[in-house]
Amino acid sequence: MSEILFIGLSLSSILLLIALGLSITYGAMGVINMAHGELVMIGAYTAVLAGIYLGLNLFFALPLAFLMAGVVGLLIERLVIRRLYGRIIDTLLATWGVAILLQQAIRLEFGLTFFGIHIEGLGPGLQNMAVPGFLTQPFDLWGLTIQPYRSFIIVLTLILTGVTWFLMYRTSIGMQVRAIMRNPQMAAACGIDVRRVSMLTFAYGSGLAGVAGVLLAGFKTVQPDMGASVVVDGFLVVVVGGVGSLFGTLASAGILGQINGSIAVLTNDILARAVVFGVVILLILWKPRGLFSMRSR
Amino acid sequence: MLEMQNIDSYYGRSQVIHGLSFSADDKSIVTIIGRNGVGKTTLLRTILGLTDRAEGVILLDGGDISGLGTYERARAGIAYVPQGRHIIPDFTIRDNILMGRFAARSGAQGIPEIVGELFPYLMENLDRQGGVLSGGQQQQLAIARALAAEPKVLLMDEPTEGIQPNIVEQIEASIIRLNEELGLTILLVEQNVGFARRAGHAFAMMENGRAVAAGRIGELSDDLVARHMAI
Repeated sequence: MSEILFIGLSLSSILLLIALGLSITYGAMGVINMAHGELVMIGAYTAVLAGIYLGLNLFFALPLAFLMAGVVGLLIERLVIRRLYGRIIDTLLATWGVAILLQQAIRLEFGLTFFGIHIEGLGPGLQNMAVPGFLTQPFDLWGLTIQPYRSFIIVLTLILTGVTWFLMYRTSIGMQVRAIMRNPQMAAACGIDVRRVSMLTFAYGSGLAGVAGVLLAGFKTVQPDMGASVVVDGFLVVVVGGVGSLFGTLASAGILGQINGSIAVLTNDILARAVVFGVVILLILWKPRGLFSMRSR
Repeated sequence: MLEMQNIDSYYGRSQVIHGLSFSADDKSIVTIIGRNGVGKTTLLRTILGLTDRAEGVILLDGGDISGLGTYERARAGIAYVPQGRHIIPDFTIRDNILMGRFAARSGAQGIPEIVGELFPYLMENLDRQGGVLSGGQQQQLAIARALAAEPKVLLMDEPTEGIQPNIVEQIEASIIRLNEELGLTILLVEQNVGFARRAGHAFAMMENGRAVAAGRIGELSDDLVARHMAI
């Protein structure tokens, strides 16, 4: 039983990292970023490439992926999203286009396949990232079998959630983000540079997606379209948790990850997804604005 | 001194302000009056760059701010107390006030002293949420937030609208005090002609997005009021 909970918890953790970024960007800017899954994918490929070319293991890949995904996110914001603020349907389509573009860039190795050049680690095939040996050996602790890699995922997520909470609620930039989430015009009238703060927020959320990608690469194969399913899960978490609520995202990632994990272990993955979708539908019917929506009047 | 020359301002394709010119002397209270829907609020929003598009020149102490972003205008010394107050309901009183600090040029931190003098209630309840306050208290909070920005010019949009009478007097008194003691230039959008006359040094009468009359407050005759404000 405890093992099932544990698997659920580690799934929740990755969901949470993905959803945190989405929740912040959607909450702060009203942007639905369909390319968020591709930022996860970029994180995963960063880990793969760092392993092949730089000989760096998971631990070094994490900050690298954070930076890489963050920079790509920053570029997406500056080149595409910035021009489309306030036009939610347009951003949805445009970021979807960016998502396809990024997928194909990896699949075609940035176009080099046309010239017969192959970069190892890219391309349409499956890749994987080696997890350091000491993270793969389960050990016993007080009669429980501990999976070190899954524990690592949980601990890292807790730390990053803590950092995010601190940034949002205890720093000046976080206060600016929260003010923009609630009233962007008043925030600007109070001297907050909405564009700059939004850009940084977007980059940070993207960076978290990159980290999630590295963690995901540890137990799933890495492939160009891995982001597509991930972004759907991320949005489910955001919608159920309530837009803009850090705590809601946390709770909802916990619930959905746990349901997914438990049912997947007891039966199979496909049934687990069906149940998750069912639960999400019921929750949204019961609370259309999410479990912990931001109060406004 | 705040000076506007030939201002046109738009929401989408509809033009709300038409070729308006206008100026406010330093340390004066200028009341902007006129019927509902003539563009008074839009005029204030145009000064901050909050409309969709605007043309014309806006000079603050001689420098043109019309090309700047809203946050830069705020940092240049223009603070806004909007109609409806726009308090953030789930921020504490403290955080609502500190929001204004992002525009303070001196980089001062914390809650300005003057807030404690003017609005002791706010100082005693810094940890309460903004959303639970009464309308009058929220108005005080919105003024406190604007003061935290250390403005030269304060834009106030119907600060006494929908507020219980005993607090209206307090707010009117504090507006006059801010002008006299801190030397703030105040642009006051007002429906209440009585208060406009009591507090204002000058006035501008608006109709259909244009300034149809302006001058010293003494020149605001009953005839003008009847012509442009009677319904």
